[in-house]
Amino acid sequence: MITLLTGMLATAVLAGGVLALAALGEVLAERVGVTNLGVEGLMALGAVTAVITVFSVHSPWVGLLAAIMVGALGGMVFAFGAVVMRANQVLCGLATTFMGLGLSTALGHNYAGQPVDAIFGHVNIPLLSAIPVIGPALFGQNILIVPIYVLLPLLVHFVMFRTRHGLNMRAVGENPAAADAAGIPVMAMRFWYVTLGGAFAGMAGGYLTLTYVPVWSEGMVAGRGWIALALVIFAGYRPVIVTLSALLFGLVTALSFVGQAHNWPIDPAFLNMLPYLGTMAFIIVPVVVWHRMRRIMAAPAALAQPYYRDVR
Amino acid sequence: MATRAFQRLPTAPAGRILALRLVAIIVSLFIIAGVLALAGHSPLMLAQLIVRSTLGSRFGLEDLALFMCPLLLTGAAVTVCGTIGLWNIGAEGQFYAGAIAATGVALGLHGPASVLLPLMTIAGIVGGMAWIAVPTLARAYAGVNEIITTLLLNFIASLLTYYLTTGPWRDRISGAQVSTQRLPVSIPEMWGIVHWGFPVAIVIVIGLALVLSHTRWGYEIRIGGANPEAARYAGIPVQLRIISVMLLSGGLAGLAGMFEVAGTVHRLQGGMANNFGYLGIVVAVLARGSCLNVIPAALLMALILDSGIVMQTQQLSASVILAITGLILFMIAIGDELAHYRPVAKVAAEGKLS
Repeated sequence: MITLLTGMLATAVLAGGVLALAALGEVLAERVGVTNLGVEGLMALGAVTAVITVFSVHSPWVGLLAAIMVGALGGMVFAFGAVVMRANQVLCGLATTFMGLGLSTALGHNYAGQPVDAIFGHVNIPLLSAIPVIGPALFGQNILIVPIYVLLPLLVHFVMFRTRHGLNMRAVGENPAAADAAGIPVMAMRFWYVTLGGAFAGMAGGYLTLTYVPVWSEGMVAGRGWIALALVIFAGYRPVIVTLSALLFGLVTALSFVGQAHNWPIDPAFLNMLPYLGTMAFIIVPVVVWHRMRRIMAAPAALAQPYYRDVR
Repeated sequence: MATRAFQRLPTAPAGRILALRLVAIIVSLFIIAGVLALAGHSPLMLAQLIVRSTLGSRFGLEDLALFMCPLLLTGAAVTVCGTIGLWNIGAEGQFYAGAIAATGVALGLHGPASVLLPLMTIAGIVGGMAWIAVPTLARAYAGVNEIITTLLLNFIASLLTYYLTTGPWRDRISGAQVSTQRLPVSIPEMWGIVHWGFPVAIVIVIGLALVLSHTRWGYEIRIGGANPEAARYAGIPVQLRIISVMLLSGGLAGLAGMFEVAGTVHRLQGGMANNFGYLGIVVAVLARGSCLNVIPAALLMALILDSGIVMQTQQLSASVILAITGLILFMIAIGDELAHYRPVAKVAAEGKLS
C-alpha cells in the first residue's frame, strides 16, 4: 500500500511538472494582460527541440536549454503579433499553436519513435529523500523537480507580490492606461513577460521529453498546454496555487496509470479521459459551488485587451 | 516637420481588410516558398503542380468540394457562436460526437436509406448539441470560460471514438484498424464522389446568414455580442440566447460529422475529424462574423488542404499544412489589425501653428 502510494505520488510529481512549468509561464503572461493560447504549440516545439538537440549532443542540460530558447523565440513571435502589432490575442495564440504543432511534427519526423538516450536521471537529496512516502517522490526524482515545484514558483511569487517591479507588472495587467501614466513601460513589460512565458512553455516541453516520456511522437503534448491554461484560471492567476494544482493534476494522471497497471476493469481510453474530465470539473465546479470564488479568483481586468496609447 | 502619422479607426473598412489580407497571404506564401527552397524543394515547380492538380483536374475539384463540406459547417458553427461574442473551440469534439451518434443509428437500426438517413441526421445534430451542453450551461449560468471547456471535450471525444472503433464497434469483417465496418447506408452522390451534403451545407450557411440578419432572434444575438450590458438592459434574455446559439453551434458541427461519416468516409474512424473543427475556427476568422463570407473562406481553406495532399505526394509531411495554416492565420490577424489604421498627414509641428 505504501509503495503504491509512493509510486503514485512519484508519478504525480513527474507528470505535474510539465503542467506546473507551462502554467507558471502562462501566469506571467496573463498577469501583464496577455492570454497566450499558443502554449500547446510552444510546448510541442520545446519537446521536439529537446529531443533533436539531445540526439546530437547527448546532454539533457543542453537539450533543456535549447527547448527554453526555442520556447522564448516562439513566445516572441506570438508577442510580436499580439503585443507589438496588437492583433487579436485569441487568433495569434491559435495560430502559434498551429505553427508549433505543425513545425514540431515536420521537424521531428525523422526522430519519431526513437528513445532519447540522455535524459535527466534520478538524484537523491540526502536526508529529505528518506522521508517516508513523500521523500522519494519529491526528493528522489530528477534534479528538475525541486526547481519546478519550489524555487520557480516561490521566486515568481516573491517578485510578483513583494517587489516594486511586481506591483508594476500587475498594474500593467489591471489597468495599462494608469500604469502608462505612472511611467511603466506597458508594451515592453508585456512583450518580455510573454516571451518569458514562452520560455517556460518551451521548458515544459523539454522537461516532458527529457524526463517523463523520453521519446518524440506526434501529438505527444496531448492537450497539456490547454490543461495548463485551464489551471491558470482555476488557480486564480497565482503562481504558488497554480503549481499546487498542477501537482493535483499530476495525481489525476497518476490515477489513470495506476488503473492501467493494476488492470482495473475500465478501458484505458476512459482512464486517459480523466485529466481532461478533471480539468473540466476543476474549472466549473468551484465557480458553481462557491460564488465568491468568482471575485477572489478574477482575471486581471485588462486581460486579452490590447493597449493603445498612440491612438492619434 | 510634416510627418505622417496613423489614426486608428474603431471599425476597419472592408476594402482595406481585403487588401491587407491579400498582402498577408502573399507575405505568408513568400515565407513558405523561402522555407521550402531552404529545405531543397523548388517552390515554383510545387506551385505549378498544386494549381494543376487542384483547380486543373476533376479529381482535384471533387476533393475541393469534399473538403469544403465539413469546413462550411464547422466554420458556420464557430461563426454563429462568434456573433454573440463566444469562441467555440470545440467543433472538433462536436464533429466526433455527431459522427458517433450517426454511426450508432446506422449500426443499431435497420431500414431503408430513406428512413435511416434522416434519423442519422437528427442523431448527428443532437450528438453535437449534447457535446456542447455542459460548456453551454457553464457559460450561461456560471460565466465559465467556454474556450477551455469546449476545447477539453475535443480530447474526450477523440478518445471516445478511439474506444468505440477499437472496442464495441470495431470492424469485425475486414479487420481494419481503429475503424467500424462500412455503414449500410450513405448519402447519395451528385457529382463524381461529391455527395449531396455539399449543396445542403451551402444552403444551410446561406439560410443562417438570412436568419442572423433578418430575424428578431438574429438581431438579439448580434446585440448580445456587441454589448451584453446594453442587451440585458434592453430586456434581451442574454443567457437564453447564449444557450440557443451554443446549441446551434454544436448542432452544426455535429451535422458536419454526420455528413463526413455518411457521405465521405462511410465509416467511423479514429482521426477522421482531420482538424476540420480547428480549421473551422480559421474559416470563421476569415469570414469575420458573416455567414455568407464562410463560403469563400471555406473555399480558401479547402484549397489549402487540397494543396496539402499534393505536397504529401512530394515527400512533404502532412503536418506542414497545419504550420502553413497557422502562419496564414497569424499574418491575417496582423493584417486585420493594420486595416484599422488610416494614414493622416500632420500639417506641421505644433509650435509653428497658432
